[in-house]
Amino acid sequence: MRGWRELFGVVAAGLTSRKIRTLLIVLGPLLGVSSIVAAVGLTNSSKGALKARLAELGTTLVIAEAGGSFGAVQDPRFPEDVNERVLALETVEGVSGITQMSGMAVRPHAAAEDEFRTVPIPVLVVEPGLLDVINVEMKYGRWVNDWDTTRNIRSVVVGPSLADRFEMLPPDPERDAIELRTILVNNLPFAVVGVLDRFAFDPDTFDNAVFLPQGVAEEEFDNAPEPSILYVRTVDGETQRTVDGLANAISLGGDYETAVDVPSDLLEADAETDKTLRNIVVMMGALALVVGGVGIANVMSISVIQRSSEIGIRRALGHSRSRIGFQFMLEAMAVGFIGGVAGVLIGAGVIYAVSDFQGWIPVVDWGSSFLWVFLAMAVAVLFGLYPSVRAARLEPLETLRLG
Amino acid sequence: MSQVLLELENVSRIYGDEVKVYAMREVSLQIRAGDYMSIVGPSGSGKSTMLGLLGCLDLASEGIVRVQDQNVASLEDGDRSRLRGDTIGFVFQQFHLIPHLTAQKNVETALLYRGMSASERRNRAAEAMDKVGLSKRGAHRPVQLSGGEQQRVALARAIVTEPLMILADEPTGALDTKNAANVMEIFESLVSPERAIVLVTHDLEVADRAHRRVSMRDGEIEADVAQIPPKRPTAREADETTPGADA
Repeated sequence: MRGWRELFGVVAAGLTSRKIRTLLIVLGPLLGVSSIVAAVGLTNSSKGALKARLAELGTTLVIAEAGGSFGAVQDPRFPEDVNERVLALETVEGVSGITQMSGMAVRPHAAAEDEFRTVPIPVLVVEPGLLDVINVEMKYGRWVNDWDTTRNIRSVVVGPSLADRFEMLPPDPERDAIELRTILVNNLPFAVVGVLDRFAFDPDTFDNAVFLPQGVAEEEFDNAPEPSILYVRTVDGETQRTVDGLANAISLGGDYETAVDVPSDLLEADAETDKTLRNIVVMMGALALVVGGVGIANVMSISVIQRSSEIGIRRALGHSRSRIGFQFMLEAMAVGFIGGVAGVLIGAGVIYAVSDFQGWIPVVDWGSSFLWVFLAMAVAVLFGLYPSVRAARLEPLETLRLG
Repeated sequence: MSQVLLELENVSRIYGDEVKVYAMREVSLQIRAGDYMSIVGPSGSGKSTMLGLLGCLDLASEGIVRVQDQNVASLEDGDRSRLRGDTIGFVFQQFHLIPHLTAQKNVETALLYRGMSASERRNRAAEAMDKVGLSKRGAHRPVQLSGGEQQRVALARAIVTEPLMILADEPTGALDTKNAANVMEIFESLVSPERAIVLVTHDLEVADRAHRRVSMRDGEIEADVAQIPPKRPTAREADETTPGADA
């Protein structure tokens, strides 16, 4: 143990005595590791927001749409008791249906008719239980409730983008209260009772939509109570079994056509990093690491020549060949370790800086850092092997130039 | 009769395979505890080869080299290195101090890998530095020391392990008269019944100071005689007779 400590002391003295040379050797593994860490981290960070959202939403949401691939039924709907049919599946935790109404005109107020005449704004008839199934929160106010549904109250919820477009959001939403007011749906005034938060699985529709309770939709616009789209939340790990059984559970032998989709699949595919690009950059980093290794071999070989007198005197003082070789090997290992750790830190710094600049969520895989540091040390040891063996084989008689 | 510390028995050192060149031919020599000897000879006489073999830095092509009755050739490198470190202290013409270490650390280098604590190494090195009169120069790097001081640091490094034999190669070759005298005085102060001091030199004045002189020529021992050293000027006296000599 004491011998090791002494050897580490000799190595530390050797490395610190010529700082510029040590820095030059360290640069090799440092550049290699930092480029690998930055490459992997930046490709992950560019998709970090999507991945974070996916983790939050989970992969247990299934969407079923009435109609399916065959038949050209106009305005296809599910049966009225579709929720009960779906809940009969043991893999299902919750279900809620919606209907997208067609031919609806939505405006913030009467004077804005010209401005919004040609703007398509989805109007979705929803049930009170939808939010629990799709796992989305309210941004402001409340969601439609049983009271709205059964009493045919003219209340609506709007998506966040629509609220913004209708200028309902205050200048500083963090500080100021939102001004909820009325909007016109087919020229009928409706009270806006809440603004929904973002729904990552279908932002195009949900963020711009007006959400109507079923009761008032039926009374004011003759909307049939049967939904056309179902959102189904499955038990963890049972998504595929639910997908497989959903169409049959809905039709129960009838002629209902159902198209089933798992939205997280698409999001997952989108969140997948561009592996080809990442691999290319990682390979370039690995190449930099190898080039750094060649640098280590070169500089250390020169160092062995420069330090031949030191090697000779150490041999004369009783240090064995193996100890001399090990001393140089440890120097290489230390260089790899220092370069690797510094490379990881610099790579992480690049990830944070670029992510901050680009508005990404920085993703640094600290777990893999050990691997990169180990790789840097392995490269350093591999390329330090030749100079170390050379140092060990130096004949003290030649290096000390006797007589 | 005092103990034989090192023995050469019909030792030859041959270079080359097809054309054999004898750097040393069938040399036999015994170095005993208490010996203060010089090995002299002109260039090419085999002094350096002798020093390499005596210091276990080289192996004989023929014959046997024994250090404290151990056949050096039969030892593995690790054991041979340990034997060398434990038994022999070296002093070289060019000092061979490690430039990035302080004088004190240079001396401590000889004590590495011996199972000593750092404080023990420090104390022993400081003691050795004191013996050569450099107790206040321990924190200096070699480049900050004069030639004479560097050689005294090298001497401290040689004696810090308390070796049985001090082997010096032209120890005054790079020094002025005053510093040479100073270094030789230190050598003489190290003479003891337990230790041998071997000076390899071509300087006859240095050789004269030893009690035994081995003369070499053409790789063979020409003469091995005991001698009474004439009185020599001390360093102080040399200083007075050498104008402009610095410390």
